[in-house]
Amino acid sequence: MNRESSYDTWFRLDNSGKIFPEVSNHRETNVFRVAITLTEVVDHDLLQLAVEAILSRYPMFKVKLKKGLFWSYFDYNSKPFYVEELKHYVCGEINPKKNNGYLFRLMHRNTDIIIEMFHSLADGSGVMALLKAIVFEYLVLTGKNIKPDNLVSTKYERPSMEEYEDANSKFYDSKNKKHVPEKRAYRIKGTPLSEDLTGLISGTMSTKKMIDLAREKGLTITEYFAALMMHTLYVTQIQYRGHIKSNQNPVKIFVPVNLRKHFPSNTLRNFSNFVKTNMVMTKDDITFEEIIALVKEQFEKGMTKSELIRKMSENVSFEKNIFLRFTPYFLKKYALKIGYNMLGMKLNTMSLTNIGKIDFPESMQPYVYDVTAGVYSGKFNTLNCSIMSFQDRLKITFTRSIVETKIEREFFRHFTNLGFDIEIESNYVEEY
Amino acid sequence: MKYCDKCKITINTNNKYCPLCQQVLEGQNIKGLVEKYPEYVSVNRKIFPITKKIFLFATVVSIIILLVINLSSLDINPKLWSLIPIGSIFYFWIVISFGVFSRQNIALRLFLLTALLIGLLILIDEYTYNPTEILYEGRWSYDYLMPFLLASCNLAISGLLLIKRVDYRDYIIYLLTIVILSLIPIILVFVNIIEVTWPSILAFGLAIFILLFIIFFFPKSIKDEIKKIFHA
Repeated sequence: MNRESSYDTWFRLDNSGKIFPEVSNHRETNVFRVAITLTEVVDHDLLQLAVEAILSRYPMFKVKLKKGLFWSYFDYNSKPFYVEELKHYVCGEINPKKNNGYLFRLMHRNTDIIIEMFHSLADGSGVMALLKAIVFEYLVLTGKNIKPDNLVSTKYERPSMEEYEDANSKFYDSKNKKHVPEKRAYRIKGTPLSEDLTGLISGTMSTKKMIDLAREKGLTITEYFAALMMHTLYVTQIQYRGHIKSNQNPVKIFVPVNLRKHFPSNTLRNFSNFVKTNMVMTKDDITFEEIIALVKEQFEKGMTKSELIRKMSENVSFEKNIFLRFTPYFLKKYALKIGYNMLGMKLNTMSLTNIGKIDFPESMQPYVYDVTAGVYSGKFNTLNCSIMSFQDRLKITFTRSIVETKIEREFFRHFTNLGFDIEIESNYVEEY
Repeated sequence: MKYCDKCKITINTNNKYCPLCQQVLEGQNIKGLVEKYPEYVSVNRKIFPITKKIFLFATVVSIIILLVINLSSLDINPKLWSLIPIGSIFYFWIVISFGVFSRQNIALRLFLLTALLIGLLILIDEYTYNPTEILYEGRWSYDYLMPFLLASCNLAISGLLLIKRVDYRDYIIYLLTIVILSLIPIILVFVNIIEVTWPSILAFGLAIFILLFIIFFFPKSIKDEIKKIFHA
């Protein structure tokens, strides 16, 4: 695919992307966002120019979703893409009809540039690559003298075939695809917010202090947060209430793993898997240390190569199933929907995504102030957490579809009690 | 920066309360501060238009009345004639909601409306067919309407493609489908359902012409479209 975006461009959906179009609606949007805060106020017109330039570099994102006879696919989108102003919705449904068919949104407000993407199209790494390129191009257009340093791609580069590959099916192992049945997870209860609103609270802390704290316990940052999340859930939701039936389900935190770090691939499309913490918390005296030990063990077990390949192959083998493949799309849609509702959604209490440290070229760094990540929260996963850091700002963002903020409060108080300075941001959804 | 004494956090906002504990924040409002996230503006929810309500109500009531009259007079006229007006009412709704107000691909709209209209007309023909009153022995829906409707849909879609400068790749697959459907009348001629043959032959000729035109001038795009749609 060395030519510039053309009408010949079309892509199959990747393995994980295939499920999302069928199971998404205004409540379960399967949308996630990444925001970059610059040091200056963002100009609408220049941002529009930057996107247009970058979209021809990334034809993968200049697509619309179309239905075929057996599978849906991404087809080249000839309509223009428009930048918007940020609205109050956080990770709201992306309606292709209102969006010229595009499956992502680019918005700006004050100094922020925000991208929201439908999960079918790409995962966190893919969206970061796109957003970095757009911000780079935007900064160039505002007249900054910056160099890409091979950390961001510019509009002068060509798209490479490697970026489109469905890496999941490349590492597929038909011998290692055993399905492990799972129990339904504990669900965080609360008063639902009206009108599909999503509450957002994020806290910024020092990256360095946090790394030191995690090292002290011999954990990675993700492990520390997962363990703390379990503990917070336990303290706020379950402790002394273990006799209630709905609290006896295991608390499971879904932590996406970026497989690019474990397998050689540069794809921009979905290439992530997960590890899960899993603990029945009916006892009245579970300590943080106990949870830490368990989380560490479960992470180690879940991150082994064979286990990652197993989880990957489990999904791919489902897709490769000859009966499912040749079922017409309109029937397959329902099969996927039913399967997901029965299995997929209810197996996690919440998700905790760590996008990690974001690197910008040195010449670009003075113009960037902050980064934020966020994922949608729906009917079953009423609270989700995403983490992202830039230089010494580590930002933890909670998105919730319930009114209560008790979990967030206890989570951040854990750090303030340890002497951390925490800066909070909120979209004040409760005031509406 | 404001400060929450209870949660020991700072927050850059002009809001009054701490988002975590709902306690009043300490500190002064900053003039000219842009809040990080925009305030909620209630979306003007589309109010179900009153005209639509009236039409919908009239539809439901008339369907019930038609069914009641039809079913209670079955001993006089044993045919389910009420299906004709009920079918027409449904067709009216489909034309309005799908044909006029939908933002679907125009070729798809034309194609589906034509197919449904043919179905409806065949239904009407079926119920009004009376071999004893010999005016015309054949079935007008098969003989004339089906081929003519298919041919006009064919012409309409190809005309759209030629006149309107649209992305023809989105339309070509519907054109192909309708071309293939135009072969149905000629099949019906062979199984002797159609008696008046010239409209069917005309429609067939037009379909073949368009098909050849596509194959000769857009061979790659038609191949691509087929590949996309049938990939498994």
